[in-house]
Amino acid sequence: MVFSSLYFLFLYLPIVLLVYYITPLKWRNLWLLVVNLIFYGWGEPKYIVLMLFTIVLDYFMGLVVARCKEQDNDKGARIAVAVALVLNLAILFFFKYWDLVARTLQYVGIGMPVLNLTLPIGISFYTFQTMTYPVDVYRGDAQVQKNIVNFGTFVTLFPQLIAGPIIKYKELADQMTYRTHSPEQFASGVQVFTVGLAKKVLLANNIGKLWDVYLALPADQLTTAGAWLGVAAFSLQLYFDFSGYSDMAVGLGRMLGFEFLRNFNYPYISKSVTEFWRRWHISLGSWFREYLYIPMGGNRVSKPRMFFNLFVVWAATGIWHGASWNFLVWGLYFAVLIILEKAFLGRVLEKLPAAVQHIYTLFLVLVSWAIFAVEDFGHLGSYLAAMFGSAQGGLYSDSVGYYFTSFLPMLIIGCVASTPLAAKLWAKLPVKAVKIVLPVVLLAGLLFSTAYLVDATYNPFLYFRF
Amino acid sequence: MSKKYCIFITTLFCAFIGLFLVANAAAPDREFSEMENRNLEQMPALSAKSLLSGEFMKNFETYTTDQFVGRDAWIGLKSSTERVLGKQENNNVYFCDEDTLITRFDQPDAAKVSENLNYVNTFVENVDIPVTFSLIPTQACIWADRLPAGAPNASQTDLLDQAKATVPGATWADLYSSLWEHKDEDIFYRTDHHWTSLGAYYGYTALAEALGYTPVPLDTYTETVRSTEFYGTVFSSSGVRWVSPDTITTYVPDTGITVTSYTYDSAGNPVEVPRSLYDTSFLSVKDKYSMFLGGNQSLGVVKTPNADKPKLLILRDSYADSLVPFLTPHFSEIHLIDLRYYKLSLSDYIQQNGIDQALVLYSVPNFVTDSNLFWITR
Repeated sequence: MVFSSLYFLFLYLPIVLLVYYITPLKWRNLWLLVVNLIFYGWGEPKYIVLMLFTIVLDYFMGLVVARCKEQDNDKGARIAVAVALVLNLAILFFFKYWDLVARTLQYVGIGMPVLNLTLPIGISFYTFQTMTYPVDVYRGDAQVQKNIVNFGTFVTLFPQLIAGPIIKYKELADQMTYRTHSPEQFASGVQVFTVGLAKKVLLANNIGKLWDVYLALPADQLTTAGAWLGVAAFSLQLYFDFSGYSDMAVGLGRMLGFEFLRNFNYPYISKSVTEFWRRWHISLGSWFREYLYIPMGGNRVSKPRMFFNLFVVWAATGIWHGASWNFLVWGLYFAVLIILEKAFLGRVLEKLPAAVQHIYTLFLVLVSWAIFAVEDFGHLGSYLAAMFGSAQGGLYSDSVGYYFTSFLPMLIIGCVASTPLAAKLWAKLPVKAVKIVLPVVLLAGLLFSTAYLVDATYNPFLYFRF
Repeated sequence: MSKKYCIFITTLFCAFIGLFLVANAAAPDREFSEMENRNLEQMPALSAKSLLSGEFMKNFETYTTDQFVGRDAWIGLKSSTERVLGKQENNNVYFCDEDTLITRFDQPDAAKVSENLNYVNTFVENVDIPVTFSLIPTQACIWADRLPAGAPNASQTDLLDQAKATVPGATWADLYSSLWEHKDEDIFYRTDHHWTSLGAYYGYTALAEALGYTPVPLDTYTETVRSTEFYGTVFSSSGVRWVSPDTITTYVPDTGITVTSYTYDSAGNPVEVPRSLYDTSFLSVKDKYSMFLGGNQSLGVVKTPNADKPKLLILRDSYADSLVPFLTPHFSEIHLIDLRYYKLSLSDYIQQNGIDQALVLYSVPNFVTDSNLFWITR
C-alpha cells in the first residue's frame, strides 16, 4: 500500500486512527501490528510469511544474544549476531540481487536461472532496520525486547515500512513500550503529513512528467538543453518524491505518538558533495556510518585504508539503491568526489565564493542523477554525451522551449520549495496570521492532492475513437 | 499553538478524511461514466483466491478511485489547476488557440506505416476495379497554427507524400490542399477528432475528380443545425471543462435514402438492421457524432434513389460517416466496410455486389496506428 492513494487516505487511515484511539493503551501495539501486516501484504500477500519469518528470526536472535551476554558467553553472542546478519543479508540478496547476478553471469556465459521474483516491498529498508537489532543488543546499545508483539510492531511499523526513514531499533525502543499521545503532537503530525502528501502528489508526480518525456526520447532526438532540463526535472521529482514520503512517515508517526528523526534537510542548498550527503537521506548515511564505515576503522586509520573504506561504503550505498550496475557506478562516483573533497578539494572550495560552491555541488549532483536514473548503459552514454554538448539532436529544439514554458511555473515552485525560504517566512508570520492561514493551507493541500489522485485513473475509453 | 488550536487542527484533518470515508460508503456506485465513455470499476468479489493473488487489492484500488464521490468535479479541478500552472496539454491533448482542443500527433512507427501502405498496395493489385486512395490530415496538421508555441507535432504531410508514392496503382486524391485552402473555416470540430460536415464537403470536392463526378455546389443545400451542445472525444480525453461546445450541422437531405447495417446476432446468424443517414436519437446522448449513419458498423449499405449511378465501396474509418451524405447524389449504392469488424474476402464482396469502384479513406492518425488493414488483402 502507498500513502499517496485514495484508499489509504480515505479508508485505511481513518479506520486505523479511529480504532487506535478507542483501543486501551496496552492493546494498541497489537492493533498496529495487525494493520501493519495488512499494509505490508496489500500488494503481495504471500510475502507476509517472509515478513513474519524476519520478525521471528531477529526477535529470537536478539534473545539469544542477550542470553549469551548474561552468561558471559561472548563467542556465542558473536555467533548469534553473525547468523542474524548472514540470514538477513541472504534474504535481501536472494530477493533483490539474484536476477542481477544471474543476468550478469549469463552475459559471460555461466548459466544461472533468472527468477523474476517481485521485490518484497520495502525489503531494503526493513532489512536494514531489523538486522542491526541483534548488533545493538550485543553492543549494549539496546535492551532486548522480550515482547514479540512490540518487536513485530517495530519491524512492520507502517509509516516507515516501505520507504524509510531507516530507524534503528535503539532509537525507537522506548517508544515501542511507552509513548504519549497529545493533540499538539497529532496536529504537528497533520501539518508534516500534508506537506509531504503535497510534495509527493502535487510536485513530484507533476514534475516527473517532464522527466518521463526526456527519459523516453530516443538518443537521436536528444538536445543538450533538453537533457539538462530532463535531469533537472528528475532531481526535483526524486527529492520531492522521497522527502515527501519521509515527511508523510514522520507525520503519520506523530499521529500515532511516535517521533522519527528527519531524513532530509534541504539537500540542494549544500555547498559541497560531502554536505549534500549529510542532508540527503540522512538515516541511510548514518546507518552506513555506524554499521559499516566505523566498524571498518572509519577515518581513524591510514589515509589509503580510509579511502578504501570510503570506496566500500559508497559501493554498498550505490548498490543498495537498486539491483542494477548503474547504481554501483553512481555510488563509486560519489566515493571519488568525497575522497577528493576530503583530500584537498574541500579546503579549496571553502575559499571560493558561496555561489561557486553551490554551482559546483548542484552540477555534480545533477550529473549523478543522470547516472542514477538511466539504467541502460548504452542510453546513459548518449544521455551524458548530450548533456556535455555532443547531442545528436543539437543544442536546442523548439520542443525544449515548449516543455520549458509548460513546466516553468512548476519548476520555479520546485526550486523555491527545495530551499528553507518558505519555512523561514512561515516562522516569521505572526501567530495570529498562522492561525488563520494554516487551516486554509492544509485544506488546500488536501483538496488539490485528492483531485490529482482521483485523476490518476482518468482514462477515457474512446472506443468510438477510430 | 494552544492545546485548543491543536485540537481544532486535529479535528479538521480527521473530519476531512472521515467525511469522504462516510460519503464514499453512502454514495451509490455508478455503472457508467458518460464523461469518460466507459464502464467504471465495480466492487470486486472477495474470495480467498482473489485475496491471495492480490487481484482483489488491485481491483479495489481502481474501484475506490473510479467511484470516488464527485469524481467528475475532482477531474475538472485537476485540469483547471494544470492550466493555471501553465501546462499546455493534459492527457495528450493540447490546449490550443480559438477554444480548440487538439490531440497530439507523435511520429508514428515507420515500420507500421509502410506495412499498412503495402497492404493497400496489395489490395489495389488484387482487385480489377479502379481504386481511389487518400488520407485525411487532421487538426494537428491543418490547424497547426493553433497549437501552443513549439509543441511537438509530427509531420502529416510527409506521411501523405509517402502514401501517395507507395501506392502508385491507386488514384490519389489530394484532400490536404482542399482542407488547407479552407483552414480558416469550421472544417473540424474543436472538441472532437472528426471533421465537420463542412470539412467533409471539402473532402468530397477533392475526391470528385478521382471518383468521377462533378461536385454539387454547397449553396444548393440548406445548412441544418442538429446540435449546439456537442462535446466530442478530445474533450473527454483532455479532462478540461472550460471550452465551449461544438455545433453539428448537416447539409444533404436524406429523402429516399435507406441504410442497412449487416451484422450477426448472438447466435451467429446474419441479421439486417435498418439505420438512417442521420440518426437523431444520438443527439440526446454524449456520443453525438454517431448521428451520422448511427455510428460504428461492420458493413453498411446506403441505397439512394439514383438507380442509374455506379456502386461505390469505401474501406474506411468513422470520418466517412459524415462524408457519405455528400456522395449520395452520385452513386446508387455506397457500401461501407470497417476492417476492424469485417474479416471476409473483399474481392469476393466486390464481385458479388457488382461494385464499380473502391475508395480507401482513413484519417492520418488512424491509418498509421491501425492494426486491421491486413484484412484488406483478403
